[in-house]
Amino acid sequence: MTLDIASISKSYEGTPVLRDVSLTIADGEFVALLGPSGSGKTTLLNVISGLVTPDEGRLTLDGTDITATPAGERRFGMVFQSYALFRHMTVAQNVAFGLRVRTGRDRTSRKSRDARVEELLALIEMESFGDRYPAQLSGGQQQRVAMARALAIDPRLLLLDEPFSALDAQVRQSLRGSVRELQQRVGIASILVTHDQAEAFAVADRVVLMRDGRIEQVGTASDLRERPTTDFVRDFLAS
Amino acid sequence: MTRRILIGLAVLFAALVIVLPVAAIVSRAFADGAGAWWAAVSEPETLQAVRLTVITALIVLPLNIVFGLCAAWAIARFRFPGRRALLILIEIPFAVSPIIAGLCFLLVYGAYGPIGGALQPWGVQLMFNLTGIVLVSLFVTCPFVVREVLPVLSVTGEDEEKAALTLGASGWQIFRFVTFPNITWAMVYGAILATARAIGEFGAVAVVSGAIRGQTMTLPLQIELLYNDYNTTGAFAAATLLTALALVTLVLRGLIAAIHPARGATP
Repeated sequence: MTLDIASISKSYEGTPVLRDVSLTIADGEFVALLGPSGSGKTTLLNVISGLVTPDEGRLTLDGTDITATPAGERRFGMVFQSYALFRHMTVAQNVAFGLRVRTGRDRTSRKSRDARVEELLALIEMESFGDRYPAQLSGGQQQRVAMARALAIDPRLLLLDEPFSALDAQVRQSLRGSVRELQQRVGIASILVTHDQAEAFAVADRVVLMRDGRIEQVGTASDLRERPTTDFVRDFLAS
Repeated sequence: MTRRILIGLAVLFAALVIVLPVAAIVSRAFADGAGAWWAAVSEPETLQAVRLTVITALIVLPLNIVFGLCAAWAIARFRFPGRRALLILIEIPFAVSPIIAGLCFLLVYGAYGPIGGALQPWGVQLMFNLTGIVLVSLFVTCPFVVREVLPVLSVTGEDEEKAALTLGASGWQIFRFVTFPNITWAMVYGAILATARAIGEFGAVAVVSGAIRGQTMTLPLQIELLYNDYNTTGAFAAATLLTALALVTLVLRGLIAAIHPARGATP
């Protein structure tokens, strides 16, 4: 799946938050959107997910224009900063949710759902936690459940909004590795939003550095570190 | 010492203001014996008043819940022009005296009002019947569900709803599976308070009911009527029924508070 972001702009009440942003994400690639708060990285992720409609520009997925496609029909898995787990559902029910709400031709049988849930719980190494409720899990476990729930719908793209920010440093480090490993195993193109450059460089193939609603520079860790194109890039990475 | 004085004051106050009057109702109602109470309670006019009161509550309740959920969802989730005005409007029934509310309804929906007058030629009468009683009851009770549900909705669930949306759920599925389970208890709580209020409403209903004996008398109106007729036993017997209805709602309220699952814990 190749996602093409072309000239996206978005303003809130006259204040531009995204200005003419263009970017291409290749199949299976892991891209990090890095930048200080207010740089527009979360808005860009929300535009990609379909939760926010851009004022201008186009989103194309494998040649199909999806700019006007509603969020629910894009089949993009999203992991929220707060995890946003359904608190009154068990872990298994949370993971199965995206399959359970399918109707008509896409309807799934209970048996196939259960099998899929088991498979995903095994993937995040939480097989025995299916009957627990989110409140009974640690932050790291909740984060993994949120990953499994997003992966359950066989997403065409995985979107991660600051998924590690609510965790303590130690858990964050180990989860970073496992998220990257999970992404490689599933082989799905992913976009991570973060303000932490160590995190961005540890996980992503390419890093997109943003500032004031614009893309400042795109490149690998060594591109950005060794050949910064602007003073802002150099200063931001030095901080 | 201070503690004892405070507790003593609270108990004394509760006894004087709450327990004694309620006890008086019961003792007066049974002053002439249980037989007299039963005779008074089974008077056709009193039974009719009970029926009208219950019917009104049963009509008002679902309308209240639907309106309350819609208004609370709109206010909590959307930014639209008139949102703040709607928030204030919903509070008006709390602030306005019920009797004034009744008069307003009479002015608008009565035979000489703009809406009532327009419907008159078609033989539709809105006031002095069940419709009028239901309309004013809706007015006085409409804030309850909104006020209970809105704070819960404001602090929970927006991210959960977005997550459900990205997972492909439809608007109805999001409400049914994600939003509603979070607000069920608040909604039930508000509905019980609204019902208690609808059953006991006097002022507003008195204006629009027309007080037709045996037809448009709700239980509170019937009690006043009996009392003014010097039928003390009848009045207090009917009052015990109203008190019993109120106590049922209070017991329900207490039960719900007791089994209300703590937020974030397992159900």
